[in-house]
Amino acid sequence: MAKARTKTAPAKSSGKKVDRLKSGRLKSADSEADEAEDEATREPEESADEEPTTAVAATNGHARKRRATAQSMAASQRDISVSEFFAKNRHLLGFDNPRKALLTTIKEAVDNSLDACEEAGILPEIWVHVQQTGPNRYKVGVQDNGPGIVKKQIPLIFGKLLYGSKFHRLRMSRGQQGIGISAAGMYGVLTTGKPVKIISKVSPRKPAHYYEIKIDTKRNLPEILNGKGEGEDIDPGEKGRQYIAKHGIEWVELDHGTRVTIELEGRFIRGRGSVDEYLEQTAIANPHVKLHYLDPEAGEGQLDVRLYDRSTDKLPPEPKEIKPHPYGIELGMLATMLQDAKAMTLSQFLTSSFSRVSSAVASRICDKAGLSTRANTGKIGRDEADKLFHAIMETKISAPATDCISPIGEDLLLKGLHHVVPGEFYIASTRPPSVYRGNPFQIEVALAYGGMSSANKVPLDVLSELLEESDARTLRQFLSSTFYGLGSDAADQIIKEAEIGPRTSPGKLKTAEVAKLHEAMRSVNLESGQTMNVLRYANRVPLQFQHAACAITQMVMNTNWRAYGLNQSRNQLPTGPVTIMVHMASVWVPFTSESKEAIASYPEIQKELRLGLQSVGRKLGMYLRRRLKVKQEGERRNIFLRYLGEVATAVSDINNADRKKLYDQLLLVAKKKTSQADAKLDERGRIIDEEAEDLGDNVLIVDPTENFGIRNLEAKNGQKES
Amino acid sequence: MAKKSRKGAAKAVNGSAPKAVLTDRDKKTLKDLVGLADRIVDDAQKKRDPYLDIPTRALSNVRYNKAKRRIEMGSNKNRRQLFNLSQAKSYMQTVLVASGCKQLIEEGKTTSIRGLYYLLKHTIDGTREETFDDQAECDPVIEDVEVGLNSLREELHVYASNRGNLVGPLTLIDSGDEIDCSRMGSAGYSIPSIVERQVIDFKKCTAKFILHVEKDTVWRRFSEDKFWVKHNCILTHGGGQPPRGVRRMLNRLHNELNLPVYCLLDNDPWGYYIYSVLKQGSINLAYESERMAIPDAKFIGLRSRDFERCGLSPSVKINLNDQDIKRAKQIASYPWFEHKKPWQKEIEQMLANGFKLEVEALISKNISYVTEEYTPQRLADGEWLD
Ligand SMILES: Nc1ncnc2c1ncn2[C@@H]1O[C@H](COP(=O)(O)OP(=O)(O)OP(=O)(O)O)[C@@H](O)[C@H]1O
Ligand SMILES: [Mg+2]
Repeated sequence: MAKARTKTAPAKSSGKKVDRLKSGRLKSADSEADEAEDEATREPEESADEEPTTAVAATNGHARKRRATAQSMAASQRDISVSEFFAKNRHLLGFDNPRKALLTTIKEAVDNSLDACEEAGILPEIWVHVQQTGPNRYKVGVQDNGPGIVKKQIPLIFGKLLYGSKFHRLRMSRGQQGIGISAAGMYGVLTTGKPVKIISKVSPRKPAHYYEIKIDTKRNLPEILNGKGEGEDIDPGEKGRQYIAKHGIEWVELDHGTRVTIELEGRFIRGRGSVDEYLEQTAIANPHVKLHYLDPEAGEGQLDVRLYDRSTDKLPPEPKEIKPHPYGIELGMLATMLQDAKAMTLSQFLTSSFSRVSSAVASRICDKAGLSTRANTGKIGRDEADKLFHAIMETKISAPATDCISPIGEDLLLKGLHHVVPGEFYIASTRPPSVYRGNPFQIEVALAYGGMSSANKVPLDVLSELLEESDARTLRQFLSSTFYGLGSDAADQIIKEAEIGPRTSPGKLKTAEVAKLHEAMRSVNLESGQTMNVLRYANRVPLQFQHAACAITQMVMNTNWRAYGLNQSRNQLPTGPVTIMVHMASVWVPFTSESKEAIASYPEIQKELRLGLQSVGRKLGMYLRRRLKVKQEGERRNIFLRYLGEVATAVSDINNADRKKLYDQLLLVAKKKTSQADAKLDERGRIIDEEAEDLGDNVLIVDPTENFGIRNLEAKNGQKES
Repeated sequence: MAKKSRKGAAKAVNGSAPKAVLTDRDKKTLKDLVGLADRIVDDAQKKRDPYLDIPTRALSNVRYNKAKRRIEMGSNKNRRQLFNLSQAKSYMQTVLVASGCKQLIEEGKTTSIRGLYYLLKHTIDGTREETFDDQAECDPVIEDVEVGLNSLREELHVYASNRGNLVGPLTLIDSGDEIDCSRMGSAGYSIPSIVERQVIDFKKCTAKFILHVEKDTVWRRFSEDKFWVKHNCILTHGGGQPPRGVRRMLNRLHNELNLPVYCLLDNDPWGYYIYSVLKQGSINLAYESERMAIPDAKFIGLRSRDFERCGLSPSVKINLNDQDIKRAKQIASYPWFEHKKPWQKEIEQMLANGFKLEVEALISKNISYVTEEYTPQRLADGEWLD
């Protein structure tokens, strides 16, 4: 059975990397190699772009002129280890450039920490520490309060590629492949030569384990450097504390947890696609996480520069592991499963291999296929498998159980978004679970409208820092790449306002010019030129790259936002002060590439995305229409009010009427006439019951002036909080 | 008929605004103004949105009374509401003008429309908005109050700026001063804006008719050439579209002294329009046409055929623009021109010519051609449009 599952998982589209890895790693190792190839041929579109780096591919080349013989070539045909492969193809894992490498490293470590905490039922508290150690070198430390890792697993987890607990199961988690953290460690060792350091503790009374590891890329095995190749045990008491201090081991004292420290070649740049952004977006989608973040600018001895505190104490419900759903199966896969199954009846096979197949459903399938429920799986040939496959597709089978997915939920989506993104209107929608290729998944969409762009409120000192750090060549490029929701139109507007040449290099601005730029950024109305800020998530992990390739972005652009009161050019992102957050939760997220950056466009996923986007869009439209009405009424009221005083004075000049009394009476009439505007005026800023009712649940309306700069306050004064 | 109180009141202008002695007329106007204010108070008390009904001053609301041969105002009214976005400001302005007039009447003062504009112009409390942006915004509101209260401008103690002069064998009393209009030097007698009997009385007149010309330059030509002496007439101009004072003066001279009125205006739509206003009354002030219109006024020129008949040089032609053509067609369709063949021909010919002519064009032929040949000939031949 375990075997069967191994097979199903990689075939779920993101299998490309894994297939390739497997063929490399397993070829000489065991018999599974054949099956791996088998799979590759079943998916022609994937095998088509198989790179000729593997031995298998190399033999396919036939040259016109014989330069080498089969014999001479055989001499150079040998194993390629996974580690070697990735050392050469680091971009496949998100280590394409120093900037991204730093981010990916942190991301892999934090994702693992969150996975581990949640799996163990612990409310996660995470520490992220980034220190600069050289011109292009950073030391990254990530610690969690998770369950810890048992001693003998530590070296394998951090020093061996494709080693993990999440690959061989259908269960929602952030990590799924077993490459993440070891790849980051390998990258660090390759670029700096410094070992990966891990300290992990499983209980307060037991010693902590401390390892310094390098990865033997040839053998894809860890090489332990400390404790004579055995690692060190650190005493749980005072002695251990002294040891930690003496050896300069970084560790926030906890009863249990894990800290990994990796030194690597990287670049720390703020703005889009940055570590800051990743952590902030993580905080939005994980309101149960408490996150301490020390960036490279942190002073000595500081605990955190930014604290993202949790806004809920409730852990997400535990996702359950499930069996594959029959609708997700492919013919080839079914045949393999049948082959692999121990001798049993067809009915037994169906009920035990798949979810949602009762013996009644199984017999219906068998009926349709014209096969006996008691037929032995060993006797099912290719033809029968084919019949069985079609019968499955034609039989009505209920959707897979969905308790294997744990969506964030509308409530927490609102909380998370409101916590981090300033706005005046929030709406969230969690779609009912659906299925693509037999994998349950669920789409969630939340939207924040209004508030100010980060460009409007960036403090002067931060701006000068950002300018200095930027690797953008022009000021225009700097502005649009650093600030979310700031399109090039808005950038041009700011530059014009600041009276600085648009092609000026951001690093070369004089102090006075920076001040001018800052002033311009504060005053320019960005609402018009601002494009929708799209936050994409897969299993609560922010996706920061490859926007265009992602099903989420595509569906957002395909949605007609004009119908909901936003401006939008055809098939573009709409404009306006809007942040939309889209989350896909699934037991297996179909990424378009190995580096887990974009979600593939399956029709079922597209459909759910569309429905989710439409449902928040409709509510946004309602809100905007109402807001416009209230605004117009308010303006009307203002116009009336403006003239009432004059009228009252003039009238009392003519007939000696009591001016004050007349004015008050006219005021009453004015209010009556513009009662629409009152609804808002009375309840300034609070959630307006009547409106919330109309708009349905899962809507949050706040006074835009009230939560101005919420993000800044919390981020900067995080230390103050408990 | 002259009211002595007029003078008494005028003296109070510089005082510390004691209550002036009110004429009966003033009392009636005041009562109307207070009535307007009372209705607003009443509406406010009953929580109704206050409104003012103002007779519509547009072509759509004027009727041509064939029997009386003048324009009359219809009964259409425009409702002006305080709580209506597009009307709120003009509502406020209307009430403001009313209060300004009330103040003038009570203090026995008179002011020009420009003066009233300045009296009422200020920044609205708590805003950066002015009660009136410019005088053009104020003038129609004053007219609104006039028609709304069915009062004459002078009853509101407001007058239009002076524009228009007169010369001729006429002696009149203006605010108590006796004036001989034949001895007023080169500029002539300046026609005041209020020429009602309490201000002006005619004492002696030997003139046989009135020649009204369009503007100052032409008037000076006639005056210098002593046309009025030779032809024993009164010579007037109104600086283009004649102000109410001039029209009322012509009306009184015509009706009270039985003087026929002949007009010498430009051969263009504007000239036709001036004639139309003099003769039938203006659309804007249709409610006053009874006092203003001179249905017997004649149009002696310039005519569309004059370019050829007088052998003018082509350089005096001014091409008609689109606006002119539009206006000409509009005028041709006025009910009081619509059925007059000669007028239809006249306008048609101008359109066919494709150009217009100013009276000054005649001067290009010979400096005194207009006074010595053109006009005397038309008058002698009785060749005019009616
Ligand atoms: N901080 C941690 N605490 C406890 N267990 C951990 C921690 N980090 C990693 N692990 C374990 O190590 C395994 C390997 O982690 P790794 O990041 O290499 O792969 P993964 O998370 O399974 O998949 P992916 O490649 O998609 O990240 C995990 O499956 C998990 O069981
Ligand atoms: Mg991982």
